[in-house]
Amino acid sequence: MTLSTLRTRTAETLLPFLVGGILWEGGCRFFDVSPQILPPPSLIAAQAVELWAKGALRQHILASLFRLLLGYVLAVTAGIILGALIALKSDIRRMSSLTLSLLISIPTITWVPVLLITMGLGDRTVITAVFLGGLFEMIYSTALGVENVNRRIVDAARIMGAKRTDLFFRVMLPASLSFVIPALRLCIGYCWRALIGAEILSAMIRWGLGKMIFEARFWNDVTVMFIGLLSIGLLAVLFDRVFLRRLERITIEKWGIAARIDA
Amino acid sequence: MKPRTVFLALLPLAGFLLTWQVLADQRWINTALFPSPGQIAASMAALMTEYEDGRSVLAMHVFTTGKRLAAAAMEGIVIGMTGGCLLAVSRWFYRLANPFILLILPIPGIAMAPLFIVWLGFGDQVIITIGAVTTFFPVAYNTYAGIRSVNPQIVHAASIMGAGPLRILVQVYLPWAAVYILNGIKLGLARCWRTVVAVEFIAAADWGLGYMIWDAAEHLNASVVYGGIFLLALLFVILEKGLINGIARLTVNRWGFSLS
Repeated sequence: MTLSTLRTRTAETLLPFLVGGILWEGGCRFFDVSPQILPPPSLIAAQAVELWAKGALRQHILASLFRLLLGYVLAVTAGIILGALIALKSDIRRMSSLTLSLLISIPTITWVPVLLITMGLGDRTVITAVFLGGLFEMIYSTALGVENVNRRIVDAARIMGAKRTDLFFRVMLPASLSFVIPALRLCIGYCWRALIGAEILSAMIRWGLGKMIFEARFWNDVTVMFIGLLSIGLLAVLFDRVFLRRLERITIEKWGIAARIDA
Repeated sequence: MKPRTVFLALLPLAGFLLTWQVLADQRWINTALFPSPGQIAASMAALMTEYEDGRSVLAMHVFTTGKRLAAAAMEGIVIGMTGGCLLAVSRWFYRLANPFILLILPIPGIAMAPLFIVWLGFGDQVIITIGAVTTFFPVAYNTYAGIRSVNPQIVHAASIMGAGPLRILVQVYLPWAAVYILNGIKLGLARCWRTVVAVEFIAAADWGLGYMIWDAAEHLNASVVYGGIFLLALLFVILEKGLINGIARLTVNRWGFSLS
């Protein structure tokens, strides 16, 4: 990417926010909207800087990221292993299909009361909820991806003497990435949802973006709620750009495997 | 389906429930925390036959959640499809709206709940609005992608043969994009379902399955919690398999496509 295209793209991304921000700020001032209902962006920014300087915002973000990423990594790892097992062993597939579609339909937040009862009110509950939130989608999509790998490629690799582990890691897994990468994206979304839900419901947790947003409710502090929501949005976009987009570019885009479109 | 397939599909569930029942009957697990499947079924049956104002309590919870889900999904789908069409038709609109969509898309519905509670108060309105917001995004994006995927030559052909813009939208673009749109709706419905139940946990005043589960958990009534979870899973499987696959069979499957 050349410098000038980079510059245009940055401008294209920032311009809408600039326009939106000015309209928002202007609207708030012109109509004299109470900051108790809709704070202007200038107030949100000032408050965010203050919260960051106090160290509170950073602590909330770090606590949430730790739980999110730990749960996510566990869910992805377990999901890929179990998904591959399901796809490769037809008896396991038959045994798991009904159970999996039931499990996938359960809103993750409903696990939280069960986890609160069984695992207590702390971090373990939240991380387990994040794990469960991402797990079933990952299993399902990995299984679908591995099932859809062209059998001829697998046979060709086998004839050329590939061992079982090679066959999986160097043939099947790369070939199923056009399913797995969209699943990674869906999965982080489910994990975020589980994280925020669990943080809200877990009484013993002090730090975390979900906690921050929920506690702002007691003071009707809409500004802090906006800061929390924006932090979640920005962190999610950042994760997508830094990790998932890059992964896509060096794998399925480079190899020319069509990606499915999901949101 | 072959009997072997049915048997294998039911095996893990039956095994799990049976083991649980035996463990609970033998008091090897704490039945206050893990009541046996029999107790769970009994307490659900009790809720079903418990009447308030002449209506079954369990049925009211299910009905309320269903009503909210239907309202939220309808709003989200209609606005989402409109938004997706706009995004696809106007480059200018796309450039302006896309950064905002990218930013808001990943925010979980339950995180928006406190904000919307301040704006709208407790109850139905908050739950339906947040449900609609979360349904909107996948529907809009997939509608957009579907419309962009239409071969322009087909559009030209239709317009040469005298079709007006509205007719081209309804008879060319939308059927052609139907696979994408239905996938978007499927995804949106899944998000909507999760969001509605989740927001019911914190914003429902008296009815709804999410409220029922959270209320039971706060009163340490474990059998209603487990029963509620099982009921939620069952309801959504029926909804997804019945509704979405039904629509797909009537439309895209007949045209030779299938949903992912």
